[in-house]
Amino acid sequence: MDTKQIIMAAVGAVALSAFLVGYVLTSRALPKNPTKKQKRPKTLCFVGLLISAWFLVGTFITAFSGKKGHLAIEFEMFSERVDLFGFSIAKTTITGAGVLLALILLLALVRIFIIPKFNVETPGSAQSALEMAVEFVDNTVRNATGEFPMKSLPPFMLTIALYMFGCALSELFGLRAPTSDLTFTFALGLCTFFLLNYYGIRKNGVLGRLKNMGGAVPAMRPVMIPLKAVSDISVPVSLAARLYGNMVGGLLVMDLLKGVLGGYGSGIPAVAGLWFNLIHPGLQIYIFVTLSLTFIDEAMELEETPKKEKKPKKAKRSEA
Amino acid sequence: MNFIAAGIIMLGAVLGAGFGMCYATSKAVDAAARQPEAASKIQTILLLGCALAESTAIYAFVVALLLAMK
Repeated sequence: MDTKQIIMAAVGAVALSAFLVGYVLTSRALPKNPTKKQKRPKTLCFVGLLISAWFLVGTFITAFSGKKGHLAIEFEMFSERVDLFGFSIAKTTITGAGVLLALILLLALVRIFIIPKFNVETPGSAQSALEMAVEFVDNTVRNATGEFPMKSLPPFMLTIALYMFGCALSELFGLRAPTSDLTFTFALGLCTFFLLNYYGIRKNGVLGRLKNMGGAVPAMRPVMIPLKAVSDISVPVSLAARLYGNMVGGLLVMDLLKGVLGGYGSGIPAVAGLWFNLIHPGLQIYIFVTLSLTFIDEAMELEETPKKEKKPKKAKRSEA
Repeated sequence: MNFIAAGIIMLGAVLGAGFGMCYATSKAVDAAARQPEAASKIQTILLLGCALAESTAIYAFVVALLLAMK
């Protein structure tokens, strides 16, 4: 500790004790049912208490660890690789496997201990929450893709949503989230690509899928099918790049925040992490699932070829 | 030089995506105000459209990262 840090720590300690005394005094002086205006000094003292405590803790951490804030961050597009039994495996792959294991364990515990207690007559809060979640996913899938029976699609979508959310949470433990690795997001995009073709062929047959790709006019089909094939192949690429870019954006902002704050980074990254590690990934997961469903629906719909006979002219609109 | 290129890329992409999302949101607010009972459907469509509009900016962000982190 040099002189500057001792002075800073002393200022912090004095401010902390002053605000503490002020807080105690103002909270004692309050009448029984205080109005908002009477509460104001107490609130101000509390805010000052928090800020001076943060300042003091930050000064001590900076003094003892020697960490200072800096603007440079180290970032690599792809995750580091480790050698495992001679295979070169990305670290995010191992994190993803760990997240999957944790999820399986959690859901197995729920299945063994909580679900047998459910009954139809008197649903508890856990049962209601689970039913609401399942119903929400069911409705989302049905709204997006119509009435075609797809029993395995809602569970699949819920599974990848949970998986991605678990991956986003793994960032809170200081690991690099698997969703911020291009290989992981591209694998998810490939899943969507497979499902898109699978359901398209299952609903309309191979010829139907070709018709769907070619559009309604038969003469245009030789031109349209290669074009549509290219745009279908770009589906996993665009899904992967979108998720990757969003997640890396969040990761970079958080890294930058931690780097800039240095030793003073106690408490603040937690508040920022609420947005960048919880809400933002949740929104992106929703968008990923909705876009996947839209692409699947697009692959299933079949436009009818227009008939050659002339349609009767439309009745003139009555002008109101 | 790479940093200047990354900056220019982000400037153009963010301008475009911002205008697109702003236009979509203003229209969605109009529609939801006119028909409040359709608000949830409009919200879904809006989110989808915003994601698509945003994706151009995201692609540009990835390209800018590739340039800047060389």
